[in-house]
Amino acid sequence: MFPIPWYVAGPLMGLVVLATYAVMNRSLGALGSYAQIVDFLRRKPVKEIWRIWYLVGVILGGAGAAWLFGVPAEVASYGKLGELLGNPALLTLLLLGGGCIGFGARWMGGCTSGHGLCGVSARSPGSLVATATFMMTAIAVTLLIHEITGGLL
Amino acid sequence: MKTISLGFGTVFGFLLAGAGLMNYNVIHEGLLLRNATMFLIMGSAVAVAAVGIWLLERFRWVTPLQGMLKVKRISINKKHIYGAVIFGIGWAITGNCPAVSAAMLGSGIGYGAVVMAGIVLGVLIFDIKIRKRSV
Repeated sequence: MFPIPWYVAGPLMGLVVLATYAVMNRSLGALGSYAQIVDFLRRKPVKEIWRIWYLVGVILGGAGAAWLFGVPAEVASYGKLGELLGNPALLTLLLLGGGCIGFGARWMGGCTSGHGLCGVSARSPGSLVATATFMMTAIAVTLLIHEITGGLL
Repeated sequence: MKTISLGFGTVFGFLLAGAGLMNYNVIHEGLLLRNATMFLIMGSAVAVAAVGIWLLERFRWVTPLQGMLKVKRISINKKHIYGAVIFGIGWAITGNCPAVSAAMLGSGIGYGAVVMAGIVLGVLIFDIKIRKRSV
């Protein structure tokens, strides 16, 4: 069991999504923050600075949870993946995997929160297709990883 | 707007971390269809937000900061398939995503920063190589 059970965390996340629409007239999504950071790195005008503040908030929230609940050793060591791989391999994989996440999310115009939570809640057709596709792909690839590693992952 | 989004982000990150979504095993077992936590969280979040958005639109909600509520909806495009496949591969490999990695960094787990760096690079490569210069 986790410090915050799913039936508390889920509905509250739904309320954050809803509040972002209700107060700011915007859809929430973490990917947008990264897009702003990339614009900044490319010395382009950063149009939505609030999105960077949102990401800073997510970081602070993670810090708050760690301060209040502590960080389980399993989480700190990256779970089974960390168990199986030494740091050099793990870091390489995380960087490459992160690259896929960023590239793919930018291409489809959202991520787990932008498409998966906001877009689906708003019944946006593009988000519904994107979410169904990345869910099915992730499940298929995970099952494949499970087979390749002989059940270790 | 800055302060409010900082606040919303803080709540969101706190919930992600507290609900166990930073745990690789939870996400991985979810994608192996052996642990329902992730789907229960996403499902209940969507249920609450969907009803709320429907009500706000029905009663022609006026937002305090940005006028009349206008919920953006996007039509289906090939990019929603291609991008999602690549995203899904990354999600399966890392058990991580753009918000979770940020919450991880906040929790003092350096791996979160590595995933974030990968995401920044991925977005950067897409913007430089694929996206039209004008965007």
